[in-house]
Amino acid sequence: MITRKKIIYAILILSPLVCIFFSLFIGRFPLSVPLVVKILWSKLAMSASSLPDKYNTVIWEIRMPRAILGALVGGSLAISGAAFQGLFRNPLVSSGILGVSSGAGFGAALAILIFNSTSYTYIFAFCFGGLAVLLSYLIGRVYNTTPAIMLVLGGVIVSSVFSALISFAKYVADPYNQLPTIVFWLMGSLASARYHDFIIGGIPMTIGIIGLIAIRWRINVLSMGDKEARSLGIDTALNKGIVIICATLATAGAVCVSGIIGWVGLVMPHIGRMLVGNDNKLLIPASLSLGACFLILVDNLGRVITGSEIPLGILTALVGGPFFVYLLKKTKGGGW
Amino acid sequence: MIEVINGSFSYEKSRVFKDLSFQVNKGEIFCIVGPNGCGKTTLLDCILGILKLDEGEILINKKQLKEIPPREIAREVAYVPQMHTKTFPYTVLDIVLMGRASHMGIFSSPSAQDRDIAGQALELVGMADFINRPYTQLSGGEGQLVMIARALAQKTPVIIMDEPTAHLDFKHELTVLETVIQLVRQTDLSIIMATHFPNHAFYFENSGINTSVALMDQMTFSAVGRPTEVLSEDNLMSLYQINAKVVSCLLDNNTELRQIVPLNTVNGRTTFEEGCKI
Repeated sequence: MITRKKIIYAILILSPLVCIFFSLFIGRFPLSVPLVVKILWSKLAMSASSLPDKYNTVIWEIRMPRAILGALVGGSLAISGAAFQGLFRNPLVSSGILGVSSGAGFGAALAILIFNSTSYTYIFAFCFGGLAVLLSYLIGRVYNTTPAIMLVLGGVIVSSVFSALISFAKYVADPYNQLPTIVFWLMGSLASARYHDFIIGGIPMTIGIIGLIAIRWRINVLSMGDKEARSLGIDTALNKGIVIICATLATAGAVCVSGIIGWVGLVMPHIGRMLVGNDNKLLIPASLSLGACFLILVDNLGRVITGSEIPLGILTALVGGPFFVYLLKKTKGGGW
Repeated sequence: MIEVINGSFSYEKSRVFKDLSFQVNKGEIFCIVGPNGCGKTTLLDCILGILKLDEGEILINKKQLKEIPPREIAREVAYVPQMHTKTFPYTVLDIVLMGRASHMGIFSSPSAQDRDIAGQALELVGMADFINRPYTQLSGGEGQLVMIARALAQKTPVIIMDEPTAHLDFKHELTVLETVIQLVRQTDLSIIMATHFPNHAFYFENSGINTSVALMDQMTFSAVGRPTEVLSEDNLMSLYQINAKVVSCLLDNNTELRQIVPLNTVNGRTTFEEGCKI
């Protein structure tokens, strides 16, 4: 039993690393295995590289940050999706349930409208994502407590308001310049990933992920419903608050660097449920790992499949859908 | 063990109960009987610390309930819900382990010791073989036994049960009652149980358990005491407006069996005699 658990944890930790390594070879500029290893080694060993600078740039400035960011974004979306599903006792909930995606989308669109460039989209997207969740939370507090169903309802209301605002932003945007920028941003992409993204997106994602991993077992108890959780000795307001804040930080961080990527936050937790079961102690790390691997792989696919890159939001559903059906058939739904 | 003194509670403006006083001793089963909506569940929620009394006090082991932090209440009183809405197919072990939450820090997970305690609790209710089964696939009675095991894993001196046999068939109802009796005998637990079946109180009394029964009606307990004294035909008439017969017979092993047989409602359309003719 213990050894099986160790093996699972080892797989969960190693597979995103393997995916990141694998993605270093993929792209327009061909690099062989020994060459990549050599480039990686020369940087790690701090020795002067004898190779041309462009190799270093491709690996260290383009592919590596993109792969790491992809892992963080996919992991964040999946882990917050799993946490929200447990918290709201609803398997159909995803990371965007409290309106963070639509809020962030509107923030980005607003930034593009106001500044006519993409330089402030990160910060706007992040702030509006957080604002949307705060609004959902306040709406959900009508009874002084926060019953799960009221929070979900609050999220639905806030999401639809921000979706309308996004449409409005598109409507008033300059159709030759701003509109395409907004539309492409909303489709999601990691193409512009650089290290400075880590400061804006990476820090909240990391904090959120660590928080959710720390509190993961408590999500089991919260999923029993308020009354039972309290009778089991849990301060539901505090625990819920921590889960919501962590999941929001992770999702908002992800959305602000990558745009809106659907599907990952809904389906990766379910694939996790089929593979490791429903105990959040294992499910939360499994979702993190699966989300990370999935997004790196899909991003790689998007880079090579056609001459120009295919937006991530499109590919995640196109690739993930059939894969999910396959898994459903194979595992018979894993107890559902 | 547990003492309620002059407890009163109301939701907004509608009063649920007023000036309730009773106490539950160690190793005692305290049954609360009353019509639908008389406030049994509300009273239980107050003892669980989920709702707060407007007036009066609740003492657990001589400590004021309102001064005990929520997490520590869960070390004194455990709860077996009436109907548990199942969401995710957790394994039986996962469910029982949740009973250990009040003994763990906010960022920790169950230890090997917690798993042992959960295993013992399942053993006690006779569900050890189900440990790795998804609890969504259990029958109603098995599910209720798992809920009792979860309450046992909390290691509390008191367990509160809210209609633990609702929706169960004859056999599963008896299994749950037998398990409760066995637990009280083995562990000296105190149990407060809301039930729609006054016969449960007789069942416990017949089995030689220290049993009290309280009739909850019109915002208060109209009678509290031993089942034999309290569950009389007159009291059932005023509580439920029904005609009932309390029958008694000797079983083969010379123990007395007392049961209530409900006959008809006071304004009923058929009397018992007419019913027999039909």
